[in-house]
Amino acid sequence: MLVLILRRAGFSLFSLLVVSLILFALTRSIPDSPARIVLGDEATEEQIAQFEADHGLDRPVLVQYLAWLERLVLHGDLGRSFTTRLDMNAQVTETLPVTLELVCIGFVVALTISLVLGTLSALWRDSPVDYAARLLAVLGVSIPGFWPALVLVLALTVERDWFPPGGFVPLGEGLAEHLRSIALPCLCLSVFYMAVLTRMTRSSLLEVLGQDYMRTARAAGLSRPRVLLYGLRNALVPVVTIAGVSFGHMFGLALIIERVFNIGGMSRALLTAIQQRDYALVQAVVMMFTIIFVVANLIADLLNAWLNPRLAARAA
Amino acid sequence: MSVTLTHDGAWRRGMDRLRRIVAACGGPAGCLGAAIVLALLVLAVFATWIAPHDPLRVSLPDQLLEPGGDFPFGTDQSGRDVLSRVIWASRASLAVAGVAVLIGLALGVTLGLSAGFFRGGWAEQAIMRLLDAVAAIPVLIWAIALVGIFGIREIEIGPFTFGNEVKLMLMLGLLYVPTLARITYTSAASESQANYVAARRLQGVPGWRIMLSDVLPNCLSPVIVQATLMLALGIIIEASVSFVGLGVQPPTPSWGNMLADARNYLLSGEWWLSVFPGAAISVTVIGFNLLGDGLRDRLDPRHALPTVAG
Repeated sequence: MLVLILRRAGFSLFSLLVVSLILFALTRSIPDSPARIVLGDEATEEQIAQFEADHGLDRPVLVQYLAWLERLVLHGDLGRSFTTRLDMNAQVTETLPVTLELVCIGFVVALTISLVLGTLSALWRDSPVDYAARLLAVLGVSIPGFWPALVLVLALTVERDWFPPGGFVPLGEGLAEHLRSIALPCLCLSVFYMAVLTRMTRSSLLEVLGQDYMRTARAAGLSRPRVLLYGLRNALVPVVTIAGVSFGHMFGLALIIERVFNIGGMSRALLTAIQQRDYALVQAVVMMFTIIFVVANLIADLLNAWLNPRLAARAA
Repeated sequence: MSVTLTHDGAWRRGMDRLRRIVAACGGPAGCLGAAIVLALLVLAVFATWIAPHDPLRVSLPDQLLEPGGDFPFGTDQSGRDVLSRVIWASRASLAVAGVAVLIGLALGVTLGLSAGFFRGGWAEQAIMRLLDAVAAIPVLIWAIALVGIFGIREIEIGPFTFGNEVKLMLMLGLLYVPTLARITYTSAASESQANYVAARRLQGVPGWRIMLSDVLPNCLSPVIVQATLMLALGIIIEASVSFVGLGVQPPTPSWGNMLADARNYLLSGEWWLSVFPGAAISVTVIGFNLLGDGLRDRLDPRHALPTVAG
């Protein structure tokens, strides 16, 4: 088990290295030098060269990358923005919790509902519950998350006064108001992934229920709930994999949802950074999301190794 | 009598053909998906003739008209016909999704096929490890961020000028490569162990020819299914990126940038601005998803992994 954890963690680290190098190279390949963006079109060649020398931009990309990596890994320092001179760690710690909260609540909602719905729909195949779950699965994956968001804003905040049409009320200003302000964003965030995970749970459980060992377990006299519990344990493996991937992807959707509801999370930081062509900040935000994505996948992998030790033995 | 017989025969042949078509799409749901996709292609190709108005014509007296009469989907803030814009927007969406998938296929299938066929070398290991590492990229975030920092501009390639969305096509296509390569690799690796490959080798056929003419066709089923689902994903991503203002640029209509405009009219109650473009996206994505699911049931029933967007 320990070998497996180390192997998987090692690979995650390797993939973060590769991906961050690609990200770094891509952000350094934009046609305009950041010096030109900061200093404006009137800047002379000398000023540009001076700026690049001051910020180490005249060094080879690989050297810049290693310096950046060293600061990030050894000091947890994302560096300073070239354009605003603001400390990027501060900007990330200010905006990340908001996005993280939305995604975590949305994820828990999606996971809970889809596990229950997917299980019921597999157990009661071709019942009304099953049809409802399958319809939800097809519709849910086909609707871009921000469209129901727009329609919900129309229906529930403009027509009726149930929820605020946007904005984020921090927890400090009252729990009820806080929950009211994040209810719709979380719901919109979870619908797509609820559909994906419901479908996965249903098909995976159906496959397991059809296996011979399930019939054997019943024949050996195990009670129905107990057999189901064993079945679920096996059926969960692909669900956990997809859930891990979904958690990472939800941050992407959260960017759009935050914009619809006018919430100042990471999306505002990222989109403002893009507008100002502040590519150091863009890089920092993307790197944060990528780290979260890789860690979520790693956790899903390890969870699966625990759920199904045979898989783990084969991989190790 | 003979007339009835021929008629009956023709009818039966017709039914048989219909049944074969339905089966080819993987059942009635897949067939519905195929019909939606086909209808969209027709809309996109013949937009010039199908759209009742010019999608770009500004007419201030017709501002924000409710649906009805001359404008079945209403008009927008500049008095442009929403129906015509929704029809024209199908071009941008399908072009971005389609070209991205083609780029992904061209690179992904080449890499996956050669790594899977010429096994055991360091090249196989290197390619697959790198692709696995790169699979750790959250697609939507990277698409938004990278398309964004390259700046919104028209792109000139030789004598042609392309819109800002070309960056999105390229980026999305590259982001599709790891998944498509992995899928091709898995089937190519198992196919190249098959007896027919050994037989062809004994006949003295060179490796690259076996790879292209024997192994490749047998690997394509899961790839086609995945590509169809990626078209659906591409539609959603194009809409999302255009929604935040970094994809297709106004005045060229896209469903995403129409929704972005609609966002300013939510509170004043012009519901038709947000409902119709959103419905268009959903119908399109449902079409591709149904077709993809149908194709999977028919071509590749063993791999029932859904794609995850975002």
